[in-house]
Parts: sequence; structure tokens; C-alpha cells
Amino acid sequence: MDLFANLATGFAVALTPANLGFCFLGALIGTLVGVLPGIAPITTIAILLPFTFSLPPTSSLIMLAGIFYGAQYGGSTTAILVNVPGESSSIVTCLDGHQMAKQGRAGPALAIAAIASFVAGTIATLVIATASAPMTWLALKFNAAEYFSLMVLGLTGAVVLAHGAPEKAVAMVLVGLLLGLVGIDVNTGSPRMTMGLSDLGDGIGFVPIAIGMFGVAELAVTLGRPQDRSLLSFKLRDLWPSWAEIRRCVPAMLRGTALGSILGVLPGGGAALSSFAAYAMEKKVSRNAAQFGRGAIEGVAAPEAANNAGAQTSFIPLLTLGIPGNAIMALMVGAMMIQGIQPGPQVMTAQPQLFWGVIASMWLGNLMLIVLNLPMIGLWVSLLRVPYRAMFPAIVIFCCIGTYSVGNTVFDIWAMLLFGVLGVFFIKVGAEPAPFILGFILGPLMEENFRRAMYLSRGSPMVFVERPISALLLALAVALLVILVLPAVKRKREEVFKE
Amino acid sequence: MTLRLNVPDMAFAAFLVALGAFAFALAGELTVGTAAAMGPGYVPRGLAILIMGYGAVLGVRAAFTGQQAFPEIAWRPLLMIAAAVAAFALLLPAAGLGITSFVVVICAGFAAYDVRLRENAMLGVGLAVFAVVLFVIVLGLPIPIWPW
Repeated sequence: MDLFANLATGFAVALTPANLGFCFLGALIGTLVGVLPGIAPITTIAILLPFTFSLPPTSSLIMLAGIFYGAQYGGSTTAILVNVPGESSSIVTCLDGHQMAKQGRAGPALAIAAIASFVAGTIATLVIATASAPMTWLALKFNAAEYFSLMVLGLTGAVVLAHGAPEKAVAMVLVGLLLGLVGIDVNTGSPRMTMGLSDLGDGIGFVPIAIGMFGVAELAVTLGRPQDRSLLSFKLRDLWPSWAEIRRCVPAMLRGTALGSILGVLPGGGAALSSFAAYAMEKKVSRNAAQFGRGAIEGVAAPEAANNAGAQTSFIPLLTLGIPGNAIMALMVGAMMIQGIQPGPQVMTAQPQLFWGVIASMWLGNLMLIVLNLPMIGLWVSLLRVPYRAMFPAIVIFCCIGTYSVGNTVFDIWAMLLFGVLGVFFIKVGAEPAPFILGFILGPLMEENFRRAMYLSRGSPMVFVERPISALLLALAVALLVILVLPAVKRKREEVFKE
Repeated sequence: MTLRLNVPDMAFAAFLVALGAFAFALAGELTVGTAAAMGPGYVPRGLAILIMGYGAVLGVRAAFTGQQAFPEIAWRPLLMIAAAVAAFALLLPAAGLGITSFVVVICAGFAAYDVRLRENAMLGVGLAVFAVVLFVIVLGLPIPIWPW
């Protein structure tokens, strides 16, 4: 069967000593930075992004993917032990995970989080491998109009699922789209909105923006908050959950995986949404529902499985359609473009080694997390004991050197500083940076497809509703917006995000 | 209806209007073209107008959505981190990575309210050595280590 031949190709690539090493290094560094309290996976990825650029494309993406799930995993560790969610996706892990830790059962909580992530990762890898071929086939039917409409749908999804006020998310998308257009116009070669700066010829650097907004800004804001970090003591020998507990968790894990796999593919979806939904569902269907919020182990297993599955299947739209569904995937697109790979359906056919290699490495990376990270939990715990004031100067230096190394120009450092300050402003006024980065990445792509579609239709915007697939995608986007403004949904949404 | 100003919303709206106006001015010299044959200025201008208009709507709304003050900004962390990044940009071309890293770490260290001088100095030396070894010697980034 094709699937297995493809996976075999993938494993052949991923199992070379060098790639195995980069996968491990990515997972390790990702966990290391992800474990730091208050540092979200997206921040981790943004900061570490530049250090993968010097590698060959396949190794670079393998390492980035490793950083990605390492960061997710590290975030859960902090959530359980310190009750500081690194990111929204681990907020629900805090609920029961930290309760377990308080009851002296931090070990089983950490172990079940890792096991659930691995189970989900294994299944999600298979889902990606099976879903990719039909998705790619579909993508090849896409024309400029369909691509444009698909991006509209993706951005709408990002708005609907943004945490803050949706009307601000809309604005952030628009600002992102606008800034994405800075630089030389590919069709005519004329520089646009560059203020005469030659450094802006290729557009505003993607790395300075990402690191500025997610690294520098987050640091500045985090340092301003009072640091509450009461680390719970815990012993390594209490690491393993009992068999009875693992058995209890299996259905929770599978339900979480299924839900996460579906939600991850949706535009705007991904880890955070999946974990919330899985927790809510588990609370309803679990026989142990009364325990939820008081240290139920299923309350850790389900969302952890879901967030890993969702995180992984969110690669599907990226790898097959070339459209990032969320901000983290937008960073991946940026990384691929810097590597000279234009994400899209042609990647799978033109570079099967890269495509399947990355997919196979996802499974290997998950395996490494469980085999290597569980014994190293002691190390992560000691890392949590290092005071934050000794940690963040290192992050500042990493941000600077990372940004500088991309183009060897100080201009990028100033840009990073500007976007860092801007990022603080956005955080303070309650505007999420995630829709912005998505808009920024999609800006040029959207404009190109818009222009092409309009050119082909001789200037008639009807083309977007006359083509059936395009019309369907736009209808979905409209439906999402309508749902968003319905009062009942609005209230429910506020509840979910508050929880 | 009484005027109840939501300051953060108003600030965001003002930012949008200003950004839109700025972009509109910058894109002003670009050819707009027609819908069938768009020039380089078509989409940027459209977006700039959209952002301005949207910002204006948000601004009007912010005037009536309830009194809310601008959230407090922790100035010390923000300024010291900004200073550290600026120091990196200014020093690196002249002083090399070693000295620059040291200065950046010292500067960033003061962003924490509980900074300790001795600890910070040691951290500065340690991280400077670490950065030079990792980035220049191991990873081979083309950055000078010393000013000379």
C-alpha cells in the first residue's frame, strides 16, 4: 500500500543519524525553553526559529517540529508543577494536573501527560499520513479564487477563535495583511511602502516581528507581573501511575485524540481549542466526572491527548494546502519560506523525502519525548527552581543573536525592538498578536491570488461566488461570523475562554 | 447617552486610524490600476482605507462602551529590556559579541525588580562566554568576537 511505502520513505529520512540528532535536539531544547514558566510554545518557537535556518531544509523542519512538540510538552510540565500555564492550551491541564500535584501525585500527572501525548501523537501521525493524499488531490483542483476564499475562511477562523475581543482580532488581521505587503511588489517590481529603506525591499522581516511580538513583548509584560512560583516538591520514584489509572485513562485519551484530530484541521483551530473542548467533553461523559477539578487523572489525560493531536493535525492544512491554520503554523510557513520551500500541494509530490521525513520524525519526536524526557523530569524540575531573574537575560541575548543571525544586519534588531514595544501595546489594549502574525504571513499570498482571480475574471468580483468550491468556503466563513455574533454563542464563548 | 470612555479601546482605535493614514500616504505614489489589472497600489490602498474606517468605527464605539482606564504598564521591565536590545544593536558592530553580550545581560538584568548585582555580573560573564562559544565557535555565525 502507498501509505506504508510513503511512511517507509519517511522513516528512512528521519532515521539517519543526523536527522535523528536534530529531532532529539529540537525536542530537548523545545522542552527546555517550554518548561520556563510563562513562556508559551509560540514564544519558544519564535525564539529558536533562527537557529534552525543554517541546517538543510529537511533537518531544519524536523528540528522545528521537534521544538514545537517539545515546547507543548514543557508547557504541560510547568502547568502541573507550578500552576502557571505557559499557554492557553495548558490552562485546562492546570485544573486537574496541579490538583494532583498538590496531593503529592505530580509524578503520575506528568507521566500520564506524556503517555497521553504519545498515544495521541502516534494516532495523529497516521491521520496526517492518510489525510494528506486526498487533501493534496483536492488542493490541485484549487484555483486562485479558491485559494483566496480558503484564506478568508482561515482568517475568519482565527478571528472567531482568538481569545480577546473578536472585533480587535479583525483589526489585527487587517494590520497584519497590510504590513505583509511592505516590500517589492512581485508583479511589477516597484517597492511599496518601504519609506525608501533598502532594508525593507524584501519586506519587513518575519523573524524580527515574530521574536519581537512573542519574545521581547512577552518578556517585558511577564516581568511586570508579580512572580508567584510555589514549586511543589515531588519525588521521582512516584513517577508511574497505577495500571488501574492507565486503564481508566485509555478511553479519555482516545476521545481526546479523536476530538483533537478533528479540531486541529479546522482553520483557526489547533492545540488550545482542542484541549478546552476535550476537557469539557470528558467532564460530561466520564464516569469519574465528580472528581474533575479535584485531581482527576482523566482530566489530565484527555486534554493532553487532544492538544497534542490538535497540534499535530494542524500541520495538515499547512503541508497540503500551504495555508497555516494558526499562528504557530504561520511561523512554520515563515521558516519554510526562508528555507526556500513554498508550502503547498506541490511539496508532497516534488519533495516526498522532505514531506514524509518530517511526518515520520513527528512520531519519532513524540517517542523521544516519552523515553528521554520522563527520566529527565528531575532536570526540568531543577530548572524550575532557577529564579526567573537569572533566566530571562539569557532569553534576551538569544532573541538578539537569533534575529541578527538571519540577515546579519542590525536593522532587524531595531525592527524587533519596534515590534516588541508594539507587542506590549497590543497586549495592554487587549489585542491578540496571533491573528496579526497569521495575517502578516497570508498578506502577500492573499493579494497575489486576489489579483490573479480578478485578472482572470476581467475584474468581476463575482468569480469568488460563481465557482462552487470558492462559494462554499466563503459561505462557511460567513456562517462562522454569523455564529459569532449570535448572542447565545457569544455568551458561551466568553464562558469558555474565561474558564 | 453619556460619554463613558474606554481608554484602551480608544488607544487601539487611534493606532488603527494613524497606521491606516500613514500607509495610505506611503502607498499614495503607487499606481492603483483597475479591478481587472491591479497596480501595486490597489490592495495596499484598499487595506489602508479599510483599516482607517474600521478604526474610526471602533473609536466611536469606545466612547460609549464604559469607563475603563489604560492598564498600568510596568515601565521598568519594558524600558530596561528595550535598552538591552538597543544596546545590542548599537554595540555589536563596534564591540564584538563578547562585550556586547555582557552589556546586554547586565542591562536586561535590571529589568527584574529583584536584581542582585553580583549575581547579575556573574551571569553577564557566563552568558557572554556561552554565547561566544555556542554561536561563533560551535555554530560558526559570522559575528566578530572582539572589537579589534
